[in-house]
Amino acid sequence: MSDLTANYLSGEVVENEIHLSLVELCKACSAAEDQVTAWVFEGVLEPAGNGPRDWRFTGHSLRRARLALRISRDLEVNPPGVALALDLLEQIAMLKSRLECLGSA
Amino acid sequence: MEYKDYYETLGVPRTATQEDIKRAYRKLARKYHPDVSKEPKAEARFKEVGEAYKVLKETDTRAAYDQMGNKWKSGQEFQPPPDWDSGFEFSGRDFGSDGGGEFSEFFESLFGRAGRANTHRQSVHAQGQDHHAKVLIELADAYHGAQRSVSFRVPYLDKEGHAISKDRTLNVTIPKGIREGQHLRLSGQGGSGLREGRPGDLYLEIAFHPHPVFRVDGRDVYFDLPLAPWEAALGATVSVPTPDGPVQLSIPAGSSAGRRLRLKGKGIPGSPPGDLYAVLGIALPPAETDAAKDAYLTMQRSLNFNPRAQWKEKL
Repeated sequence: MSDLTANYLSGEVVENEIHLSLVELCKACSAAEDQVTAWVFEGVLEPAGNGPRDWRFTGHSLRRARLALRISRDLEVNPPGVALALDLLEQIAMLKSRLECLGSA
Repeated sequence: MEYKDYYETLGVPRTATQEDIKRAYRKLARKYHPDVSKEPKAEARFKEVGEAYKVLKETDTRAAYDQMGNKWKSGQEFQPPPDWDSGFEFSGRDFGSDGGGEFSEFFESLFGRAGRANTHRQSVHAQGQDHHAKVLIELADAYHGAQRSVSFRVPYLDKEGHAISKDRTLNVTIPKGIREGQHLRLSGQGGSGLREGRPGDLYLEIAFHPHPVFRVDGRDVYFDLPLAPWEAALGATVSVPTPDGPVQLSIPAGSSAGRRLRLKGKGIPGSPPGDLYAVLGIALPPAETDAAKDAYLTMQRSLNFNPRAQWKEKL
């Protein structure tokens, strides 16, 4: 292997190794702090920690926050609507995955 | 450049009220939103609808668009008339950076300027934006870890502030045990910062290429294992594939179709590792030769088997 020129970047798996602070999460999904805070109070995101300064978000929250942002922006849905949509979408994804695994074609 | 009839896109007449436009947009947006929709070409359609709404939802941009008149049809060759927007001021409108993505050439030539005006708002040493991309890897990469060259599209603003996207290829180490839906954060690989601002990060969301044999659910992996009737009835030891290579699996006597046999810890590695499941199926040998037919008739005579016996109790 004449692979001397290729540098392979190593990253961190967000779900395993990192917790994001409120500021990091907002930056990672280009959302405003008050928007993310509203989603937390609505149960869309469930960070560990006691208050906004202390919140720690997982990679799962990152995915949900990005989805929440797209849905609230594109469909003009308020936080309770976002919470409902996300829970239903997650259920659909889970059922589809189960269906694929069990009911093979 | 092609003319875009934004009213046609939203399916409303030119006389529609702002409320009509909002209602039409919301209905179409729910129908075609890529996160929600199962329609073919949802994403492209959603972009068109979003672009039309961006222009028609504000009374000033709508009025400027209306002022050009309606002498073109959608798709027709078009050049904006000189001074088409005289008397209108779109400044302060942020068309470019709210993540809507790419706009048509038509939109850019008419309203792109409003987005461009905004790109200078950032502070002098602004930190670069974080980027996101979805990458497809092989299931085997999650089992063993791998070094892969991955390609994806990233959005960026060109010198004039147009939101466009370009292909980017990166050599990335895929860590062993990564699962679908997880994110790999590559520090400093996002958008570049302004002057001394540090670059943003790149988040890669992992998904697997569909595998012809294995299906994945979280950390667990499934595959179909077809058995001959005698293997299922009498038990057997068969060689089965795993993403780690073939292993010998013993099938208990009296196994029925649909039963799942678990190979503990043979799913995606991790702590705890996932499990690998063989979903049993029973394949019917064809009865194409006399010998095969005889074998079935012998079974019929000696088994006295009624597969519908359970109906008697239930009906």
